[in-house]
Amino acid sequence: MPQLIKVRPTKIELVKLKRRLTLASRVQKIVKDRLSILTMEYLQIARETVETKKKLIDAFVEAYKALSIASGYHGYITLEKELTATETDMKVAAGIRNIAGVRIPSLELQGDRKPMLKYNLADTSSWLDHAAQLYKKCLETTIEIAELQSSLELLGAEINRTKRITNALEYMIIPGLEFTIKFLKMKFEERDREEKGRLKRVKVLVGRG
Amino acid sequence: MANGLPYEKLLQECLKGELRVVNAGLPRNQKPLSTLLHEEYPHVLCSDGSSHLFKRRELNYLASVINTDEQESLLLPVLIELGQNQAEAAVICQTDVVQKLITKILDMPVTPEQGRITIYKPQLALLRKTLKTTSQYVFSPKILDR
Repeated sequence: MPQLIKVRPTKIELVKLKRRLTLASRVQKIVKDRLSILTMEYLQIARETVETKKKLIDAFVEAYKALSIASGYHGYITLEKELTATETDMKVAAGIRNIAGVRIPSLELQGDRKPMLKYNLADTSSWLDHAAQLYKKCLETTIEIAELQSSLELLGAEINRTKRITNALEYMIIPGLEFTIKFLKMKFEERDREEKGRLKRVKVLVGRG
Repeated sequence: MANGLPYEKLLQECLKGELRVVNAGLPRNQKPLSTLLHEEYPHVLCSDGSSHLFKRRELNYLASVINTDEQESLLLPVLIELGQNQAEAAVICQTDVVQKLITKILDMPVTPEQGRITIYKPQLALLRKTLKTTSQYVFSPKILDR
């Protein structure tokens, strides 16, 4: 049962209520559209997250295998020496993109395609090159998953908030306004009928006198 | 609730706020693809003062789809307008390059009508999947006339 808004039963209040109802419906339209877009984006990102997670697990399995072979071939100590000397910094371009009012992070690995291959190629084997390439792929996928997961969280929170507004409008505010408008209209009709009855009675009394 | 004025103001503010929030990500000006490809951090400024970063991977994809001359006339981000019909969206098509691009991405012929290419929700999802950072939603005031 919608809640009746406590207002004075006057024509001015009725006009005000009607105006409020129009406004509330307008807000509802925008919020609903926004919700549908956010949900669509959320589902898309969720699907992508699942795919990327699978990709990440596969990439790490492959990379670990390749590194095991490389370390078996060269020996741990030699490999560690070779790789420690060639450590490079990774550049990640971080920015923001906006999806229907939600600001979500955008991350992308920058730099050249082969930042890891800076060790002595003459002293190392192709197993190490292979492992380095696979780990580069892992790094890219990790950055991708970081972006997707934070997007998912932010979009989820915004969907919750928007849903609450939509529900409040749909089930509380708009029905309450419509119910009050209906109540006021009925009250005015009742008043009119009373007025007519009173006039008839006055007419009878005047006629008698 | 007894006093109508604050309540009305609240609704009015909510409406204004929602319109402002949903269109906060709109770019102040669009940049051609050729310019963005040469920027270190390709981005545009948004109406709320923030910057919208484009992914180089997407820009490179766009550059591979269209030729060098067309890169000059492709303005990014591509704007997707949400208007009167909730099931539809319209891609704002200022040049023929956008039409060519949408045809390529959706893998179907599209024709612009009054500078807009109408697409449906599943196509919109596909378009957004490909052009994540290079497309942007515009919430048109036409929503209110629905």
